[in-house]
Amino acid sequence: MRVPLSWLREYVDVELEPEALAERLTLLGMEVKSIERRGTEWRNVVVGELLSVDRHPRADRLSLTRVTTGGGEPLEIVCGATNIAAGDRVPVALPGAVLPGDRRIERTEKMGVTSNGMLCSGDELRLTADADGILILPADTPLGVALADLYGDVVLDVDVKPNRGDALSIVGLAREIAAVTGASIRFPDSTVTEAGQPTAERLRVEVADPALCPRFVGRWVEGVTVGPSPAAVQMRLIAAGMRPISNVVDASNYVMVELGKPIHTFDAAAVHDGRIDVRLARPGERLETLDHVDRELHPETLLIADPAGPLGLAGVMGGADSEVSAGTRDVIVESAIFDPISIRRTAFRYALRSEASLRFEKGQEHRLARIGADRTARLVAEWAGGTVAPGAVDTNPVEPERGRVAFRPARVNRLLGTALDSTDQAALLERVGIEIDGSADARGGSATEVQVRVAAGDRPLSVEVDASEVLVALVPTWRRDLEIEADIAEEVARIHGYELVPSTLPSTPMPSFRSSPLELRDGLRSALAGAGLTEIVTHALVAPASLEQVRWREPIDVADGETEAGGVPITVTNPLSADHSVLRQSLVASLLETVSSNARRGRSEAAVFEVGKGYGRVGEETREWWRLGLALWGPFDPPAWNRPSRDADLDDAKGVIGYLTGVLGLPAPAYTPVPTEPNLHPGRAAEVVARSTNGAIGLAGRVGEIHPELAEAFEIRGRVVVAELSVRGLSAGQLPVPRVAAPSRQPDAERDVAVVVYEDRPSGELEAAIRASAGPLLRDVRLFDVYRGAPLAAEERSLAFRLRFAAQDRTLTESEVEASMAAVMTSLAAAGGRIRS
Amino acid sequence: MDLAQLTRDLEDLRSEALAQAAAAPDTTAVEALEIELLGKKGRLTGVLRGIGGLPAEDRPRVGAIANAVREAIEAALRERGAALRGGELEARLRRERLDVTTPGRPLRRGSLHPSIEAMADIARIFAQFGFVVVESPEVEDDLKNFQMLNIPPDHPARDLWDTLYVDQPGNLLRTHTSPGQIRVMQSMAPPIRVLLPGRCYRYEAVDASHGFEFFQVEGLMVDEGTTLADLKGLLDQFAHAMFGAGRKTRFRPGYYPFTEPSVAFDVECLVCGGPGCPACGRTGWMTILGAGMVHPVVLQYGGLDPERYQGFAFGMGPERISMLKHGITDLRLFMDNDLRFLEQFR
Ligand SMILES: [Zn+2]
Repeated sequence: MRVPLSWLREYVDVELEPEALAERLTLLGMEVKSIERRGTEWRNVVVGELLSVDRHPRADRLSLTRVTTGGGEPLEIVCGATNIAAGDRVPVALPGAVLPGDRRIERTEKMGVTSNGMLCSGDELRLTADADGILILPADTPLGVALADLYGDVVLDVDVKPNRGDALSIVGLAREIAAVTGASIRFPDSTVTEAGQPTAERLRVEVADPALCPRFVGRWVEGVTVGPSPAAVQMRLIAAGMRPISNVVDASNYVMVELGKPIHTFDAAAVHDGRIDVRLARPGERLETLDHVDRELHPETLLIADPAGPLGLAGVMGGADSEVSAGTRDVIVESAIFDPISIRRTAFRYALRSEASLRFEKGQEHRLARIGADRTARLVAEWAGGTVAPGAVDTNPVEPERGRVAFRPARVNRLLGTALDSTDQAALLERVGIEIDGSADARGGSATEVQVRVAAGDRPLSVEVDASEVLVALVPTWRRDLEIEADIAEEVARIHGYELVPSTLPSTPMPSFRSSPLELRDGLRSALAGAGLTEIVTHALVAPASLEQVRWREPIDVADGETEAGGVPITVTNPLSADHSVLRQSLVASLLETVSSNARRGRSEAAVFEVGKGYGRVGEETREWWRLGLALWGPFDPPAWNRPSRDADLDDAKGVIGYLTGVLGLPAPAYTPVPTEPNLHPGRAAEVVARSTNGAIGLAGRVGEIHPELAEAFEIRGRVVVAELSVRGLSAGQLPVPRVAAPSRQPDAERDVAVVVYEDRPSGELEAAIRASAGPLLRDVRLFDVYRGAPLAAEERSLAFRLRFAAQDRTLTESEVEASMAAVMTSLAAAGGRIRS
Repeated sequence: MDLAQLTRDLEDLRSEALAQAAAAPDTTAVEALEIELLGKKGRLTGVLRGIGGLPAEDRPRVGAIANAVREAIEAALRERGAALRGGELEARLRRERLDVTTPGRPLRRGSLHPSIEAMADIARIFAQFGFVVVESPEVEDDLKNFQMLNIPPDHPARDLWDTLYVDQPGNLLRTHTSPGQIRVMQSMAPPIRVLLPGRCYRYEAVDASHGFEFFQVEGLMVDEGTTLADLKGLLDQFAHAMFGAGRKTRFRPGYYPFTEPSVAFDVECLVCGGPGCPACGRTGWMTILGAGMVHPVVLQYGGLDPERYQGFAFGMGPERISMLKHGITDLRLFMDNDLRFLEQFR
């Protein structure tokens, strides 16, 4: 909310500098977001008096004026406005002045006459809304004075929280300031001079459902002249961020800013039979609102209506037909209280949230209905002339009593960690108008137990407490936010000052140990960063097209204990854009998009990974599963003069995966060809699985070079290798603690075997055959050479494996090793290989 | 073969060998000579083969001469070998000289994402005070995201969280990590000290300080006596750990429907250190988190009796913490994944 200090000062004396005041308000919970100084823009704009106004010698539509600013020679200034006459005092922008919008004023030649500056309209100075005429200042405005000294102002932008609708007004904030500075507050004058036929004889109001409109106060002002508001009023409204419209409408807006009470005014001639109904819309009813939109009304819409039909959307927007306009003679002032939820729903339904509806949504003080009506009637009569009809129509004139909130000062201290005794707490509350009820009744009369409300809302809770422990706070009618004991505790802390709350460390019992679910995830992340990959975080919300474009034909096996992927995609019903409207099911598109966007920025390589979730729905159940994705593109090693450049390939990705299985304490992963994934190169894609010794899947997924067509779709040149993995413990897990043994004193025995197979025979199968047949002495198998060429046939290759055998407790005998090797060779032969000697 | 002949042969071998040794061009030649002259099948052995034809009394004399010849040859070879080795090593070292001023062979350097790292930093600090990490789902229901947090439908405070809804009635993308509070209270018994990090979503146009996806870290502590003063003390410790000891902090009223009293927590501007600058909106302070004492309605939805249990909750944006710490001014960089940005976090 924008708060002009000049306006605030009408109701409370403020000695503080704006910055100091802003800090006090912020420490009170009324955070000041910014401090704006109005008028600093008006350099070289001073008050002048028109000595003469004559026709320009060569232009009928211009005037030639002579202006004095108090001293020196009068200035000749050419002006196009018609509302000026000799003797008027006006703002004069002297040569060198800079007006709002960075408009520079210089001495200029206008149709053969030199103009020594410019006379300013209210709009040119952003002071009033009038752009047509020069701003005529009061006759007693001192000559030559800088305009900034007269009309400059400081505007605080205060963030009033949703629970403090009462402070969404100048008076409300004045009340807060008074509470901390001890100054007293002056309320706006709402007395009216009444004459003529009483309101009750002109206006009848029927409220169909008092729950939706607990109070409606109507007043009548007769014989107004609609026109612009006084300049000072316009200045205020503009400073507060409101647009001046007319004296009658401005009066209602003025009261809204001042008191926080939204008011509506009707042209009385448009209200048939002087009768207003507050009721819900009927089927088929329509209304053209003030913004000239013809609206079909939903039956939940609360209306202000007359016998002929709807006049306005209650609390949200008036109707075009009953709008106060230039010809309006009599005005009806509506100052009502509406059900906050009804107003909020209507405002949302018609997308018409306004300053008025915002205030209604937060709830309104009952008393304000009458005060607001009176104050508006007074201002209308003052600014637009007319006579205020005696009395008001009031559907519920009974003023509610102050709320009573019982609290235990000891409990307040227990919550806050303070040591404020009952007297201290009572004194603090007193400063914001909360009195302590000292009567015997307040403490339950003869009863010894008092009910203390601990919780309200949809989980109310009250406890019975010994009366001696309790104080009863009488809450001012405008404070709708104070309901339960904890609210009083906050109020005590707020007025005492949060800065005075002690700073202690918890001394309550520690919870027992729990291991962190992030341990394994963080371990893998660090390992990958150590291996040279950069971690990325991409959007979980993606475009439906990308979801379709990059999806696995066959689902990835799920690692032991992890959530299985699958289900239908989860779609956002109110997305910000189609590009981010559905939750992803795979990380691959995001990885490719990252490679692509970096390529567009001129990169020629990327090695990235992301640990993120996929999302889906199976029946009613929502699934979220963790995945690890990586992408390698371009030269894998940093460029160097002493090393040839080499693009990352499938083997690099498999190297990273092998490194991860090592970190995870898993055996080496096994790869099987996957020629059928449409997104992967059919000859360069594999399924990867690493199982722990008990057979459970520790890591599973897919790795491969992306299909050239997919690379093209992402506008990536060159080969990209991607992997997406499900990893045991990625959702919540710890890295395994390895069991280790002392190195054997016995030397290992190494044997090599080369086997010739056809090209399409996967090495992995042969390796598996070796592992399966070599017996318990085998420690390790490693492919160390692949040979093609003479004397092998064209479609053949030779794979050379090095096997390492060892026993922990003894030196192996030659015959033991040879027996193992014999078994290996037999199984290789059985697998279709020819042993090369 | 007579003694004289044999003696002559030995002397000839000696002088020839000494000449050969002196002329050996390199250590390889010296080693070859040694074998040629003194090896098992070498020339000295060849000469001595004639010893069998001598009378027994002459043999010791020849033996003595042969030994002297052997020793002389050995000495000559050793001497020549040593001389050659010194030169050769020198030559090798000269040959193997590198330009040591060239750059080395660089290693790939990876990096960790600042959003995730900021969450890890936060968790590390609070772990010292007994807080453990718990995670909760991103697709939530209205009940836990709002209603159980004391934000009923049509409550004006809902304006604080513009929400993305999903195609399943009653479900939404969590707007904050706070629904985790309910899950934790329902599943864990006090004393509770947990951190709830994770991804959150809002219907929010993207600009330098807003995004529709971001991370949040929620903290929750509930037991029988935790106070607002404890919250203040703990947050002070956190600010000092994160931004440096001695940083001034400010504890002021805030507003959240799920806390009462509610708190906003500021640290002294990291850019200007207090006097005010554009980075802090000329206030000298930067807000880093919101907090408060858990509302009795929320405690009850968590299954706890508000007469017995009390505690606090806080929520902060790791990106905001990271921005303050590293001097980043645009939130969009965190999900832009420009490697030139990310690679700076090493
Ligand atoms: Zn600053």
